[in-house]
Amino acid sequence: MLLLLGVTLVTFTLTNLVPGDPIAAALGEGAAANPATVQAYVERYGLDDPLPVQYLTYLGNLAHGDLGRSLATGRPVASDLATAVPATIEIAVCAVVVSLLVATALGTVAAHRRNLVTDQVVRVVSLIGLSLPTFWLALVAYDLFFRRLGIAPGSGRLSPSLTPPPTITGLYTVDFMLDGDSVGFVDAAAHLALPVGVLSLFTIGLLTRFIRTSVLEVLDSEYVRAARAKGLGPGRVVVGYVLRGASLPILTVVGIAFGSLLSGTVLVESVFAWPGLGTYAYQAASNLDLPGIMGVGLVVGVIYLVLNLIVDVLYGVLDPRVRLA
Amino acid sequence: MRSPRLLALALGAALALSACSGGNSAQPQGGEGTATSGGSLVVDTAFSLETADPGNTYDPTGNTIAKALYETLVDFKGSDVSTPVPGLASWTQNADATQFTFTLEGGHTFSDGSPVEASDVVFTMQRVQGMKEAKPNFLLNGITVEQVDDTTVRFTSATPSLQLPAILANPALGIVNADVVKEHGGTTDGSDTAKAYLDTASAGSGPFVLDAFDVTSQVVLKRNPKYEGDEAPGYDRVVVRNTSESATQLINLQGGDSQVALDLNGDQVTQLKDGFTVASVPSASTIFLLVNQDPAVGGITANAQFAAAVRSALDYSSLLELAGAGAVQATGVIPPGFTGALPTGATQDLAASKAALAASGYDGSTIRLQYPNDYPVGGVEFTPLAERVQSQLKAAGINVELAPAPIATELDAYVAGKEGFSMWFWGPDYADSANFLPFGPGLKVGLRAGWTVEAAPQIAQLATTAGSATDPAAREGDFAAFAQALQEQGPFVPLIVPGSNIATANTVTGAAYNSVWTVDLAELKPTA
Repeated sequence: MLLLLGVTLVTFTLTNLVPGDPIAAALGEGAAANPATVQAYVERYGLDDPLPVQYLTYLGNLAHGDLGRSLATGRPVASDLATAVPATIEIAVCAVVVSLLVATALGTVAAHRRNLVTDQVVRVVSLIGLSLPTFWLALVAYDLFFRRLGIAPGSGRLSPSLTPPPTITGLYTVDFMLDGDSVGFVDAAAHLALPVGVLSLFTIGLLTRFIRTSVLEVLDSEYVRAARAKGLGPGRVVVGYVLRGASLPILTVVGIAFGSLLSGTVLVESVFAWPGLGTYAYQAASNLDLPGIMGVGLVVGVIYLVLNLIVDVLYGVLDPRVRLA
Repeated sequence: MRSPRLLALALGAALALSACSGGNSAQPQGGEGTATSGGSLVVDTAFSLETADPGNTYDPTGNTIAKALYETLVDFKGSDVSTPVPGLASWTQNADATQFTFTLEGGHTFSDGSPVEASDVVFTMQRVQGMKEAKPNFLLNGITVEQVDDTTVRFTSATPSLQLPAILANPALGIVNADVVKEHGGTTDGSDTAKAYLDTASAGSGPFVLDAFDVTSQVVLKRNPKYEGDEAPGYDRVVVRNTSESATQLINLQGGDSQVALDLNGDQVTQLKDGFTVASVPSASTIFLLVNQDPAVGGITANAQFAAAVRSALDYSSLLELAGAGAVQATGVIPPGFTGALPTGATQDLAASKAALAASGYDGSTIRLQYPNDYPVGGVEFTPLAERVQSQLKAAGINVELAPAPIATELDAYVAGKEGFSMWFWGPDYADSANFLPFGPGLKVGLRAGWTVEAAPQIAQLATTAGSATDPAAREGDFAAFAQALQEQGPFVPLIVPGSNIATANTVTGAAYNSVWTVDLAELKPTA
């Protein structure tokens, strides 16, 4: 709770330090010149209160689940975020899963083939993944796979000819599945593929290097040699002994990578017209939408806290020594 | 050990399925009752949208949507916003242009089948007037609306308002079905709560009805089966999608995912060859330099000779190269297509510039040029434009330092008149030249340049004369005189009127840019 309070205080202070008039930004030239409109707007959003009062009012409302009303959309921030967050979670979770699978395979192979050609190739590939600018990569991938090759669908979360599923989780693939709509599910999954692929590339590069290093450290350990000596197959040794032993540092990096994915989505969402948290954050910042900016800051803060909690719990699950300590 | 393997296999299969199921989603897809039949049109644009309630909307995308859902008393044909034409009604005015009487032409019906009546018109206008916090509220400032009979409505103002017909063409003043809106919380006393309903269903007589509205992703419109107007839509279903990146809009159009792109810049439209049509026309916005006349703010810029030196120093055709298709040189503060627009603009004259500069007493010190660097207008990026201005002024002996900033932070200083030398833009709130009078001394934009009535009383009088004109013929001359005076003596240096590009696949015809509602979706038809 203290951390969350800190997040709200920092976000509130920083957003209010930005020079600029949110009323002019939100109303536009014509309406901002109309005193009646400005007065009604100021009263509606409580913008005439002193800043400490505005902050305390914000905290009071927050306790009731009210994040305020967006100056840009005119809707409750909580409603806006309820739409935007699941859209981002959907690509971020998929990107982490894909990254973890691919990076585990690449990192393990590279470690086993240390300093051989395979290792060199994997290291170059991971370096490329880390180096490519996301925005450029997204545009090139979209142009190549959608326009030129025709094997990826267009932008957005769904084809324009389809209607979104009834909202249950906000994740289109899950909601289509729960609704029993296979056409919708396939279409939503297809629209996920390219943004997830682009978003994954950086994370794959990052994770591959960590996994390679972690696996190398474990490969020469006594318990791995013992497993081999017992005659276990290479597959069982890798999955049951090597990767399990290397999992703690990998888990730490995955937690950090998931957080960085959330910021990476701003550019990817922009290119793929994905109406998620990144798009909302950009729109809020452009319009000096203070409640919107604070809402995004709060959500990202909560996600980081939850991630840290999950990572801490998983430490205990993966390594009983942590639990005992 | 078995479970993780199965999970990995399942994930792999799902990803493979996803990868293989891709394709051109512009093709109608069937199945499960979610797909629609043909006759669909997909329009990509960067959303500037808050609501589908016309009385609360005043954004470019909002106007496009409202125009499709609601009819207005007055209309414009295609791109021509200089001549208002009858929409739902024809009108007459009194001699001093303070009273306008509108007579409904009859035969128009709302989407529920009920007729459009004078009481609906009065309710619509008084609802907007009652909602003080609504952005379009200012459009009807000082106007009284009253019902004369079942088909006649009278608008009265205390001062001459020749611009009223143009104002009434704004989609924000689209006529709503009073009974339906009242049933869902609509009032005229400011306590209106009908916006929530109007974001889920429309209550107009326009060519389309609202099917789905999502302010972040897309708006879906369906043909209005009860539409009785003369602009029957060419498509049964129109999807307007939020595609913020113009590069994505271009790829979508080229790949067939959309058929119309509204935000391509001049460079991007040149990449569209066979199979596409681009309608490029000058927009209604003007990019200009502001030379502050307040010595406390601008120092040397307050000298009238300095503004003259800047005006003569610039190579306008060179600046225009940065603007792309559809753009033209700004010939004054009034852009082409509006009453009183000047036929020709300033030209470069370096000798005159140097003479004016010498007369101003400029000592060669560096002057900051402030501008927003994250807000392209009509595809024109301000940073390269500012760099070219800097280079040209350098050649004329004026040293300029560029001072870019995000618009959200820079806007404050501009509005407060605290910028000595800056680059900004101006677009009209409605389609009438009265929108450009604020450039006059003592008025909104003039004051941002520190230009008071006392500094130029004759030009202030020209603005007053143009604003209170009652004879349309004389009015054009009044506005031209105002624009000419500003061009010669004002603290503004109009640079460019950016182009507006509407790009369509060749399967679509009828696209015409309109500065009020961008594009009339009902005018878009499938190619025969």
